[in-house]
Amino acid sequence: MSVNEKAVRAYRRNTIICLGGILAVFLLIPAFVKNPYTLNVFILIFYTSTLSMAWNLLGGMTGQNSLGHAAYMGLGAYAASMLITKAHLNPWLSGILGMIAVGLVAGVIFYPCFILKGPYFTLVSIAFGEALRQFIINSAFFGRASGIGLPFGRDSWLDFRFGSKEPYYYVGLVMLLLVYLVMKKIERSRMGYALRTIREDEDAAAAIGINPMKYKIMAVVVSAMVAGLVGFFYASYIRYIDPEMMIQAKSTESVLPAVVGGAAFVEGPLVGGLIMVPLSEFLRANFSKILPGINMLLYAVALLAVIRFRPAGILGWYSHSKLKTFIDTKILKKPPIEVIEEVELARRQRKEA
Amino acid sequence: MEKTPIIEVQHITKKFKGLTAVKDVSFSIREGAITGMIGPNGAGKSTTFNMICGYYPPTEGKIFFRGEDITNKKAYEYTSMKIARTFQIMKPLKNLSVLENVVASCYFGHAAARSQHEARERAMDILQFTGLYEKRHVLSKDMGTPDQKRLEMARALATKPELLFLDENMAGLNPAETESAIELIREINKSGVTIFLIEHIMQAVVSLCENVIVLHHGEKIAEGTPEQVMNDPLVMEVYLGAKGGKDHA
Ligand SMILES: Nc1ncnc2c1ncn2[C@@H]1O[C@H](COP(=O)(O)OP(=O)(O)OP(=O)(O)O)[C@@H](O)[C@H]1O
Ligand SMILES: [Mg+2]
Repeated sequence: MSVNEKAVRAYRRNTIICLGGILAVFLLIPAFVKNPYTLNVFILIFYTSTLSMAWNLLGGMTGQNSLGHAAYMGLGAYAASMLITKAHLNPWLSGILGMIAVGLVAGVIFYPCFILKGPYFTLVSIAFGEALRQFIINSAFFGRASGIGLPFGRDSWLDFRFGSKEPYYYVGLVMLLLVYLVMKKIERSRMGYALRTIREDEDAAAAIGINPMKYKIMAVVVSAMVAGLVGFFYASYIRYIDPEMMIQAKSTESVLPAVVGGAAFVEGPLVGGLIMVPLSEFLRANFSKILPGINMLLYAVALLAVIRFRPAGILGWYSHSKLKTFIDTKILKKPPIEVIEEVELARRQRKEA
Repeated sequence: MEKTPIIEVQHITKKFKGLTAVKDVSFSIREGAITGMIGPNGAGKSTTFNMICGYYPPTEGKIFFRGEDITNKKAYEYTSMKIARTFQIMKPLKNLSVLENVVASCYFGHAAARSQHEARERAMDILQFTGLYEKRHVLSKDMGTPDQKRLEMARALATKPELLFLDENMAGLNPAETESAIELIREINKSGVTIFLIEHIMQAVVSLCENVIVLHHGEKIAEGTPEQVMNDPLVMEVYLGAKGGKDHA
């Protein structure tokens, strides 16, 4: 084995060890942290970051700014809850059917608005959220403003129902990891290249054979389905939903982790969520009693600071930082990119031979 | 016997609101050849080019590809017909690296790569061929005009075209770079790709093109070999008499 090959292997191994270490920490947290308030913050981080990853597929990768993700989440939550309470379906099945429903609705609603270029998508996404909320508030079938409760009962995996927070912690973590892997897969696939090409220049995209409309619809459908999944998780966890969850401010909240973390990166919403959710909870717990609304104000200031000083988000800064150089060379022992390419090429050539 | 031309343009006209940018232009492109289009600034060259490439439809007239009417085809349908284009005003995918720019192209068109490895490997070959290999990890927005022009070409080639449209792909190059660009185009043509190019640099047109079409004020005023059109009295008047400012982007 050549020196280069060894170096690349060592780098791979170091990366896996580091990522595995981080994952292990998250898997072990519930074993040490028994305080339900703290566990709740973690669960909040998991589903908020997942929702933000859904937003980022459109906002970050495709350049289509949605302000309606709380509505897709709400739609997923309502669809699943209705199936559970009215049709008495199994919750997991209801969750899946709810996701499909959200995907279909998003595809049908946004198909026409992609015919027009420009900010129409954002406007329609706002209008869609508000219209859906008003519809539910005025519908007796959907429980009007008082919402829907999910049945309580014995702890059960089959019914996705628990008295303690731990199982939700793990399900939330698994949901986040699965969605992350899907997003990573999309980023490297034909669809990911299509979406980023569309983001950069629609004319250039069409010139190489990308139908911008088709890929934008695909992105909306996938993004809405993930938001619907988060809605299902939320409903199962809180066991009560009402139209309040779809207000505009909630949609904005789904944008923040991605923007703060770095919308150009699939990891952006994870980094942003890990910072913004605890910050928001801390501000609410400590300041809202003293001066109601001050927590929102401080949150806004934090956001403005990021936009002003690090418009590419934390990862945008990190990717050019000395810190990254240090971690790459000193901790992960990353060889130069040319060496990695060379080793990969050699390996593939050997495979073909 | 005459072969069906690869492209046949019949009486196309393009009106932008009050302005007629192209007026009743007809010509054809012979398969396997390099055909050129020249004319002063604002003559309607890019407009003609954009209509043929489906960027927008002609107001009147028809366009045929190997006998098939493609007048109303959408821009994104062209690479699956093995037709690719570049833009006069470059449209690099700014926040992606040069390599990613080309990988994106490899994923689409009639010969779309089926795996990430295939796309990357093909992109690497094209980067070598177009002389961009050393810059593959540079963000495309950080490159100068000559390299962005090359990237336009690389992205078009990555879709494996049989017919390539180049809109002033040599503008802004110095003489040495122009010479190597001419060589590159000749090589692409030799590999079996039909080429249609718009160019202000006469040296390139004369040394590459078999047939040249001259536009002026949206109308075709001459067509023939480079020698024929250069000696055409009307063309001489337009270029020399009217002193129509040349030699710029
Ligand atoms: N989208 C458009 N809308 C309105 N007018 C346009 C548009 N595109 C081009 N024109 C006008 O049509 C005329 C022809 O423009 P065109 O770009 O085809 O010229 P050209 O021959 O390519 O010139 P150049 O050598 O400068 O590239 C010009 O007067 C231009 O201003
Ligand atoms: Mg032009």
